[in-house]
Amino acid sequence: METQRKFIVPIGPQHPALKEPGHFQFTVDGEIVTDASVRLGYVHRGIEKGAENRNWTQNLYLFERICGICSHVHATALAIGVERLAGVQAPPRAQAIRILMAELERIHSHLLWLGVAAHEGGFDTLFMYSWRDREIVMDLLESLSGNRVNYSVNLIGGVKFDVEDKHRDAILRGLDTLEERTRHYLNVVTTDRTFLARTRGVGTMSRNQAELFGTVGPTARASGVARDVRVDAPYEAYTLFPVNLVTDEGGDLMARFVVRTKELFESYRLIREILDHLPSGELTVRVPRKIPAGETVSRVEAPRGELFYFIKSNGGEKPERIKVRTPSLCNWASVMQVAVGHKLADMPMILSGIDPCFSCNDRMVLINRGSSSQVWSWDELRRYGIEYYKKL
Amino acid sequence: MNNLTVHPLIALLLFPGGLFLLGGGLLYEWIDRKLVARFQNRLGPRWFQPLADLVKLLAKEEITPQGVNRALFFILPVIALASALTSALYVPIAGFVPASSFRGDLIVTLYLLSVLTLCLGLAGANTMNRFALIGATRTLTQLFSYEAPFLLALLGPAIVTKSWQIMTINYYAQQHTWMAITQPIGFVVALVGLMGKLELPPFDAPEAETEIVAGAMTEYSGRGLALFHLGKNVELFIGLTMVAAFYLGGLANPLEFLAKTLGLLVVLTVLQSLFARLRIDQTVGLWWRAGALLALVQLVVVFLLR
Amino acid sequence: MDSEELIQTAMELLVPWALKVNRPEGNRLDVFVEPHHLKEAVKALVETQWGYFSALTGLDQPPAEDGATEGHIEALYHFCRGPVVLSIRTSVPYSNPVIESICDVIPSATLYERELMEMFGVVMPGTPSTDRLLLADDWPEGVYPLRKSFTGLGEQKLEETDGNAA
Repeated sequence: METQRKFIVPIGPQHPALKEPGHFQFTVDGEIVTDASVRLGYVHRGIEKGAENRNWTQNLYLFERICGICSHVHATALAIGVERLAGVQAPPRAQAIRILMAELERIHSHLLWLGVAAHEGGFDTLFMYSWRDREIVMDLLESLSGNRVNYSVNLIGGVKFDVEDKHRDAILRGLDTLEERTRHYLNVVTTDRTFLARTRGVGTMSRNQAELFGTVGPTARASGVARDVRVDAPYEAYTLFPVNLVTDEGGDLMARFVVRTKELFESYRLIREILDHLPSGELTVRVPRKIPAGETVSRVEAPRGELFYFIKSNGGEKPERIKVRTPSLCNWASVMQVAVGHKLADMPMILSGIDPCFSCNDRMVLINRGSSSQVWSWDELRRYGIEYYKKL
Repeated sequence: MNNLTVHPLIALLLFPGGLFLLGGGLLYEWIDRKLVARFQNRLGPRWFQPLADLVKLLAKEEITPQGVNRALFFILPVIALASALTSALYVPIAGFVPASSFRGDLIVTLYLLSVLTLCLGLAGANTMNRFALIGATRTLTQLFSYEAPFLLALLGPAIVTKSWQIMTINYYAQQHTWMAITQPIGFVVALVGLMGKLELPPFDAPEAETEIVAGAMTEYSGRGLALFHLGKNVELFIGLTMVAAFYLGGLANPLEFLAKTLGLLVVLTVLQSLFARLRIDQTVGLWWRAGALLALVQLVVVFLLR
Repeated sequence: MDSEELIQTAMELLVPWALKVNRPEGNRLDVFVEPHHLKEAVKALVETQWGYFSALTGLDQPPAEDGATEGHIEALYHFCRGPVVLSIRTSVPYSNPVIESICDVIPSATLYERELMEMFGVVMPGTPSTDRLLLADDWPEGVYPLRKSFTGLGEQKLEETDGNAA
């Protein structure tokens, strides 16, 4: 048998290109990648299993912590699903506030991505500027909810806070600045020559491939696949405030930049419309503590694509099973296929092109290998946390 | 002929070689980092940061990885820094007369400046680390791509002067129109070539952190890393001096030196913050297709008009 | 096509293999199939380009307390098209947890399948790679964390694996 010596470049779990742990192995021939594989699970926290031992309200907080970037959509997906099982619906004003927050979060996520992707391509100037502007929306989120991440907007059956006039003015002011800046960024990503040299024709995924791999979100839309849960199956107030789909036929990295940047404009428009026509009324409805037995599927559009929740209740206070399928997982497969044949130097940008989120992928198994080597109960963990900080 | 002279021993240890050069290198690194940071809307480091980095690195443990040739691993950073420092003897640092000068020292200087890159490539190839190996390959590939255009670009002024001696070219440049104006293409190629030599963005593929961590220097820590960094700083200093002396009307006194090299540095920082990183194949393509060709055209023009 | 039409087309496609069809919600369709029919059913959907493969959910149905019924793992292959979510459901017993991989029909399914294999202990012949995807390298063989019977690794189990790893 002929043995061939392979030159494998490992990227991760710890690597400057990755802001979160994941492990990729690229087999290279010179600079050309000939094979790619992935290993996930470094930030597995046992959330799906943990959900089965917590009641519905506790789970809302737990699931918000699946992802640090798109925390709000996770809580929204769970809340919508549970409300459907319970046979209630959040009041119109609460629904509008939910999607308002979702759009603000999308802005923050897309700007974050723009910076990271530019950094992967060695364009640090764009990175610094886009993150500076991202602070505007972070401040808005903080002024609304009190938090920069994990906004904790949702309750099962509504939202926690109202949007007042002073918030409205601040948001509109912030959006004006952001819109102007975004126009500038769109100009940069479509005209800067060195940047285009790194993005145009790189990581191209045809429409057929995108369909076959089951890609979702901006990654799919950049390949011309019109797929957006907000449009296909409008949930919450998206029925009142319809979204215009943004697609691009390019399929390459540049198209992904263009689609995400254009989606920002759509989000600005949507937020202005929501603020202008915010329904009045209550913020919450009562939901029973025990959720009737049943199964439901809850789909929402996260910044990275379709977020899929399968929720099963056995009629008790705790869920029987919650399955989370995050958009990044759908898009991984496509990356691994597209990577082959490209240059090693393109890998970081192709990887970041789908805006991967590792924490989202990895969810399960609570395990602590320190002192006691046993699975900790919630109380133990809480006590440990309290003790730990007392020592400081 | 108004350049100043200094005693040889002082020249070797204090000025323009030795301490002054190290200090100048660190100062220019700071200016470079600070300006790039300001362009990128960041605060940037304080003035003593490069020195602090150096001291910190020197104080750290140096780890020799398994599977390397230990002697080579130890000596390469020393050779790199030494060659960069030596090359300072032939260039008009701070507008003074070069400490040592002979006919054809231009070639020797260029060679000495390349030794650093060569050492870097060898250092990367010496380790078992895959990132370092790829970094080394890229470093050497880049060396072969920018070296020829850079050399050709510096040859222009030499041919006009009819001398291969840096000192003579410097005097000539002082008495004539700036060669940046008479040979604009050569000037641009030389400046951009300097960026390639120093692996500054957008030519930083050999040490692209998002792909191959720190490239050839991945396995270096402590002293070795400090010396390589220092070597690069010195090279930046000397490279700027040479381009300024050749193309910006020569360097007659310290004031002129400061103004001209700093001016060039500002241009370099602007270019650094303006572009995305080029892939190594794009770098090579750019240099051979555009860089070498332009430099050749410039040379032909110089020959014809002489 | 509105969602009613979409559901009708899907139903017609899957009728040859369907054991039972269920409409739990307006936009959802559940089709129960035998494990060995699953791949053909999926193929029928892919060939007519009915939607895209969105998720693969595993459900554990532990054995009855008295041992009267055997434990089952249920796998739900969710396909989405527009507002419709179609779930092809198949159930395999603990004693023979084998579902053939659908990777040659949908190459990207491998990540979902590996998750199901690790978390529920379903054997999926034909999936390209069976390396660990999510669980730790020293996670003991034969322990499937999302089965209801899993309540945590005991102290002993961990020590054993530590010994193996060393």
